[in-house]
Amino acid sequence: MTPTAHEVHPAPALEPGRTILELRGLEKRYPGTHALKPVDLAFKASEIHAIVGENGAGKSTLIKLLTGVMPRTSGEVIWEGQSAALATPHEAMALGINAVHQEVVLCRHLTVAANMFLGEENSRFGILQQRAMVKEAQKIIDDLGFDLPAHVTLGDLTIGQQQLIAAARATVRGTKFLIFDEPTAYLTRKEADQLFTLIRRLKTEGVTIIYISHRMEEVFELADRVSVLRDGTLVGTRNISETNDAELVKLMINRSIEQIYHKEHFTPGAAIIEARNLSGKGFENVSMTVRAGEIVGLYGLIGAGRSEFVTTLYGRHKKSAGQVLWEGKDVQINSEHDAIKLGMALAPESRRDQGLCLNLPVGLNLNLPIYKRISSNLLISNAKEKAEADRQIAGLRIKTPTRHALASSLSGGNQQKIVIGKWLAHGAKLFIFDEPTVGVDVGTKAEIYRLFSALLSKGAGIILISSYLPEVYELADTLHVFRRGKLVATHGFHTADHEDILTQALAEKQEKLGGKT
Amino acid sequence: MSTEAIPAEKPKRNYNALFGLTLLALLVLLWVILSLSTSSFASANNISNLLRQGSMIAILAVGQTFVIITGGIDLSVGAVVGFATVIAAMLINAGVPVFLAILLTLLVGVAIGLFHGFGIVKMGLPPFIITLATLTSLRGIGLLMTNGNSISINNDAFQEFSRNSFLGVPNLFWMVLLVGIPAYVFLHHSRWGRYLFSVGSNAEASRLSGVNVQRTIFMAYTLSGLCAAFVGVLLASRIGIGNPTQAEGWELQAIASSVIGGTSLFGAVGSVHGPLLGAFILATINNGANLLNVNAFWQRVITGVLIIVIVYFDGLRRRGGK
Repeated sequence: MTPTAHEVHPAPALEPGRTILELRGLEKRYPGTHALKPVDLAFKASEIHAIVGENGAGKSTLIKLLTGVMPRTSGEVIWEGQSAALATPHEAMALGINAVHQEVVLCRHLTVAANMFLGEENSRFGILQQRAMVKEAQKIIDDLGFDLPAHVTLGDLTIGQQQLIAAARATVRGTKFLIFDEPTAYLTRKEADQLFTLIRRLKTEGVTIIYISHRMEEVFELADRVSVLRDGTLVGTRNISETNDAELVKLMINRSIEQIYHKEHFTPGAAIIEARNLSGKGFENVSMTVRAGEIVGLYGLIGAGRSEFVTTLYGRHKKSAGQVLWEGKDVQINSEHDAIKLGMALAPESRRDQGLCLNLPVGLNLNLPIYKRISSNLLISNAKEKAEADRQIAGLRIKTPTRHALASSLSGGNQQKIVIGKWLAHGAKLFIFDEPTVGVDVGTKAEIYRLFSALLSKGAGIILISSYLPEVYELADTLHVFRRGKLVATHGFHTADHEDILTQALAEKQEKLGGKT
Repeated sequence: MSTEAIPAEKPKRNYNALFGLTLLALLVLLWVILSLSTSSFASANNISNLLRQGSMIAILAVGQTFVIITGGIDLSVGAVVGFATVIAAMLINAGVPVFLAILLTLLVGVAIGLFHGFGIVKMGLPPFIITLATLTSLRGIGLLMTNGNSISINNDAFQEFSRNSFLGVPNLFWMVLLVGIPAYVFLHHSRWGRYLFSVGSNAEASRLSGVNVQRTIFMAYTLSGLCAAFVGVLLASRIGIGNPTQAEGWELQAIASSVIGGTSLFGAVGSVHGPLLGAFILATINNGANLLNVNAFWQRVITGVLIIVIVYFDGLRRRGGK
């Protein structure tokens, strides 16, 4: 079944493209780590080549080597038949290699057009031709089918829209080889579709695409071939038509897919929190109950009001109407502090912006909510501080040399474990997880899901927000669907199918369906 | 995001201590060089003098560091020192007992710090702006109160304090320890110290983790104001007058000491011993330059160059350590 080498199969689905970029024994060592073991791989002109692997598997290292951000330790890169040093980002760009990163690296305060032409401004006698640039940028954006204005400030767009601009920007610079690093992590489905259209179009124009994603369905939707990295080793390359989910996941983690979604059902206990007709900024009239031992899933598109709802519960924003009951009693939650005192814990959506103090030690991050408890009057107990941090590091298997290492030095998955871990010692009763597995690899996902079960078994309740349907579908005992600030549907465990839930979440689709009948 | 496994990193535990030792080595090196190259540096008189010169900036730098760790800046401290000399002088001359006069002066410093906290937290002003505003207006208020004159303090006991020594060490230097030791415990061994760092690193993450961010910011500026008022009392004692134009530019010296001492202006990195050493390194350079008859104008240039060199090497090491 499994093809041993793709060259053996003539693969009719593939363009008979010539090789544009070839890696020969490409290798990267950091002091103490062998991040990328010698890799041999050839990319063909106008193919979409997906690269999958867990966090720390070597994907980012590979990108950094190809884009000239870091020098390689050994090996050779052959670009269009000639050896390329790829020593600087500038050299990579000059060859036509560009990358679109998961986090948008553009200037938020400049206009869309200014960003599109950043570094290659159109000027006449030293004077910027602003109007011409806006016009040209608008033409490119319209061409690509994005419904976005070129004259507005980039920061006024949503993260998803900014991502589209970043992609559009990469296409206008004579790019022959374009790397997408998890581009859809923050995109809505509609934006993702626009991006896919763009990617397919680039392919027909002869551009080679490397597409990195944790989302298998995207890999199968887009890619011609897929390569799997594990622990810095290239463990296989497959034609997409000749492989499947299960095989890829197995290659990635050496484990089968059933073991990932770990779901235990507990008998729900008493209500922990109840929202009655709660309204606030970004959502209205939402009622729901979370009981001990259950996971309540909130599904919807980004911007559907789920995050706003939970941050209001958590006291970050003011409610405009409605009532919150905690263990049956009416409560006023005016600040995060109130919420935490009641026994709530929030692992927020964005690790970098809301979850972590990146340039501080792992231990300080883990202990932040409990410093009051581990201090006696004035002083922090060093022994307790150490014990608490080490307990979480060991319990969650956070990969860090010591608790003194800076949070920024850890991989994304391990950072996410800190965001979650800091609440475990706090003894909360209600855990709110907002997109807990964005940008996290399959192995870490499985660990996080197992952690949910452990919390439930101790009588905690969980609110799980996710834009990734399989996640809420497989884990939530009660699944609420949000659309445009309203709670539009509620399901029990596996009582609806994916199709229905998606339809409920996507307003446009339903309107279309409504129009047909 | 698939950040790669980062190479095993040496524990950062003793990073602060190590950097402190490097600074201490630099200070000792300067002292050795100056002892060898000048006849007067190693005299008891000169060393006492140097300790007195460095002490006041050192105390200011400690308060400043608390603020900088939260990611802010306090430009007002020099003006607060000048203003505090006026308050102390007026109170003492009005017959208020010295002890009470000092306490009231310190309270004025606290009030100024609270005002800064209010401006930043409640009015949403950038720290640079609100403290810059205080810097100019406090000088003005002081001048209005004194009609632009100096007020001589007629209390010998008060003035003698700054000239006297205890166990052979100038009283002013003891004051550095009086401030420095509690400050060290506060910053490195209390939860409020941790909160200063966490707010400076990521205020939103701290808030969501239950840290009272507003209170933490109030606290940082209040402590800075308190340190500055305390220095004002010491300065009034040393020069025997109250004058609102005193301590011109001390805020920049305090910031420079803090930065030389390893504090990051981006917040979340700093210590107490670093700024103290930084202040005495600056004092030594000025003192040594005087003894070597280096043009006073050059001293300023040297200080500027030194800031660049030290901070550059510190940054190199930080990046290299990763």
